[in-house]
Amino acid sequence: MREITFAEALREAIRQSMEKDERVFVIGEDIGVYGGAFGVTAGLIEKFGSGRIVDTPISEAAIAGACIGAALAGQRPIGEMQFMDFVTIAMEQLVLQAAKIRFMFGGKATVPMVMRLPGGSGTGAAAQHSGSVESWFVNVPGLKVVVPSNPYDAKGLLLSAIEDDNPVIFIENKLLYKTKGDVPEDMYRIPLGQAKVVREGRHLTVIATSVMVNRAMEAAEKLKEEGIELEIVDPRTLRPLDSDTITKSVKKTGKALIVHEAVKTGGFGGEILSTIVESDAFDYLEAPVRRLGGLDIPIPYNRNLEYHAVPQVESIVVEARKLARGEY
Amino acid sequence: MAKEVIMPKFGFTQESAEIVKWLKQDGDTVEMGDPIAEVTTDKVNMEVEATESGILAGLLFKEGDVVPVTQVIAYIVKPGESAPQRMAAAPQPPPGVVSPPIEQVSAAASQTAITPVAMRVAQNLGVDPQLVVGTGIGGRVTREDVESFAHSQPADGKVRATPAARRIAREQQVDLRAVQGTGPNARVQGSDVTQFISIQPTAQDTLVKPVSAMVGNMEAKVVPMTSIRRTIAERLQHSYQQAPHIYFDADVDVSALDALRQRANQLPEARDAKVSLTALLIRIASWALAKHPYVNSRLDDNKILLFTDVNVGMAVALENGLIVPVIRNSDKKSVFNIASEMNALVERARLGQLRPDDLTNGTFTISNLGMFGVDRFTAIINPPQTAILAVGRSVKKFVPDETGQPVVRSMMTITLSADHRVIDGAVAARFLDDLRKGIEQPELIIL
Repeated sequence: MREITFAEALREAIRQSMEKDERVFVIGEDIGVYGGAFGVTAGLIEKFGSGRIVDTPISEAAIAGACIGAALAGQRPIGEMQFMDFVTIAMEQLVLQAAKIRFMFGGKATVPMVMRLPGGSGTGAAAQHSGSVESWFVNVPGLKVVVPSNPYDAKGLLLSAIEDDNPVIFIENKLLYKTKGDVPEDMYRIPLGQAKVVREGRHLTVIATSVMVNRAMEAAEKLKEEGIELEIVDPRTLRPLDSDTITKSVKKTGKALIVHEAVKTGGFGGEILSTIVESDAFDYLEAPVRRLGGLDIPIPYNRNLEYHAVPQVESIVVEARKLARGEY
Repeated sequence: MAKEVIMPKFGFTQESAEIVKWLKQDGDTVEMGDPIAEVTTDKVNMEVEATESGILAGLLFKEGDVVPVTQVIAYIVKPGESAPQRMAAAPQPPPGVVSPPIEQVSAAASQTAITPVAMRVAQNLGVDPQLVVGTGIGGRVTREDVESFAHSQPADGKVRATPAARRIAREQQVDLRAVQGTGPNARVQGSDVTQFISIQPTAQDTLVKPVSAMVGNMEAKVVPMTSIRRTIAERLQHSYQQAPHIYFDADVDVSALDALRQRANQLPEARDAKVSLTALLIRIASWALAKHPYVNSRLDDNKILLFTDVNVGMAVALENGLIVPVIRNSDKKSVFNIASEMNALVERARLGQLRPDDLTNGTFTISNLGMFGVDRFTAIINPPQTAILAVGRSVKKFVPDETGQPVVRSMMTITLSADHRVIDGAVAARFLDDLRKGIEQPELIIL
């Protein structure tokens, strides 16, 4: 099968949607001639023109507000922010407007929009450009939250997000943009709310999101040499959450490790953990459920400190090994 | 009234002392304060003094015996009085502690069960001594055992167990307090419970009664598979199907070993536990195993695990099945120790009080059917081990001596089953040859 990058897979999903449905358009900063901060929209302005690839001034609130207005007026906008961190500027629009309009209008109005947010650390972009704040949105009923970990899922999930009648927060980890993977050319969809067991194993379940799925896969290869078999579950969407796939896996292995880049305190890992212990998987637990997440600090600019501020392959190996060996 | 002389306690942590020398003998007149025996702890030699004037009588131990503190070692009687019959000095369990019915436990077994200081500590800490695994002489529970057990138990008396362990215990009606935990801080894991169940005859098992049924036109008694039978069936079927067995027979001369056994049983060390041929074979096999790591191994997926620890198990027939208690570090133990540990293990097995620890971590197994008159047989390897030794009976036979003249020797056939995936013929043969040498010339083991 054809191999393309995560960024190319996203671009293909956007292009195919725009070709199929003229209501779909993209709006964001420097997405036209410049092609976007991470090149996702490169070349699209030549094909669709500035009427559908809309550059804006530096105002995230305006991007979000324009998306909401357009969506209410029957369009299907895709908003892009240069860094997830700047969504703070647009919180009122997303949380108070986008998330609540359908409910408050008794279902007479819908807000079919996607807000694409490049998140995560590892690029040396310091504390204001490296955040992973997905759990803020999970806490808001009315929003869906998608966290793809590979090019195939990125395309299939983005197509579903664009076609969904609700506002979708679509989080793209910056380190994933250049990763490659097999991606079919047709317009396939991955339903929102369907987790995937990306690796089968018997000793413990690792529930990892976004770039942490890749790190967990690498850790699994290392631990395999020690005879430890990790089962890795990628939730793919945090809301709606496919709790069945997670609990089924934990019932099988009896142990769970949750890994995400976002700060551990108040991070989504707590929600996954609760999902496990509230379910019948509780009766199958053979050890405390463990979490690996970002440290309780802003992401440092210093590359070494930045590296150690979030879970890495080595830290996953150490934690998973301890859990598998019965040290917890 | 005879006055008891007890083994005194010299130190806070002292649990026993060895009698070095009796300074007075049976029938000697003693004055209060006279030294009557010299004893030694691991640190220092001390004297035991007469606590009363009179005649020393009924010395209960020989020189060299190790005696728990507070145990009566002799009596001082008035002229014309005789020493009382020796009482089984079984320590009294503290109130509230359930002890097995007395008729099930031999005096010897309960005598070696726990040291007095350990019993007192257990009482203070509220520990049920029955649940503590003993590491002292002859499997005796020591103060350290009790303390480490108590330390591993939560202070509130609640059992630490994983949710999975609790679920399995609930489903299988197992009392978690009886299960030894292998998790962190002795937390009971689900696997601990399943293993516990697999080695304990369950209530259901003991209630199993054959029922009659017609099979075709024949009448048959139907016996349900008990959990222990199921475990045996699964493990042995797996072993026989997965491990390509190769077999090696050797006729060995056990005359020297027989003589050694008889001499050993004359010694005071054999008082508590008679040395059996099996105990000697465990010792000799352990010695040979230490030299042949491939026979002391396991096959684990794609890896061969060679163990430095030698833990030899012995097959024990119970009424409802077969189990294999394990003597740990059997290459580092004396034959006397092995014999007394075997006794304790067999006793626990018969009473259904085996601990998971007793059955795990074996690296080799010996199955001796000689006492049933079997000449020779082959055994199925006890997985995940890679070899097992089957021992037949020893019989007197005429064999030619060096000059070709017939002489009578005690001969026995041993048969090694080896997993050919791990053990090649030559490896097995060399191991068997060492085994033969050890049996025929046991002095080699100390030379």
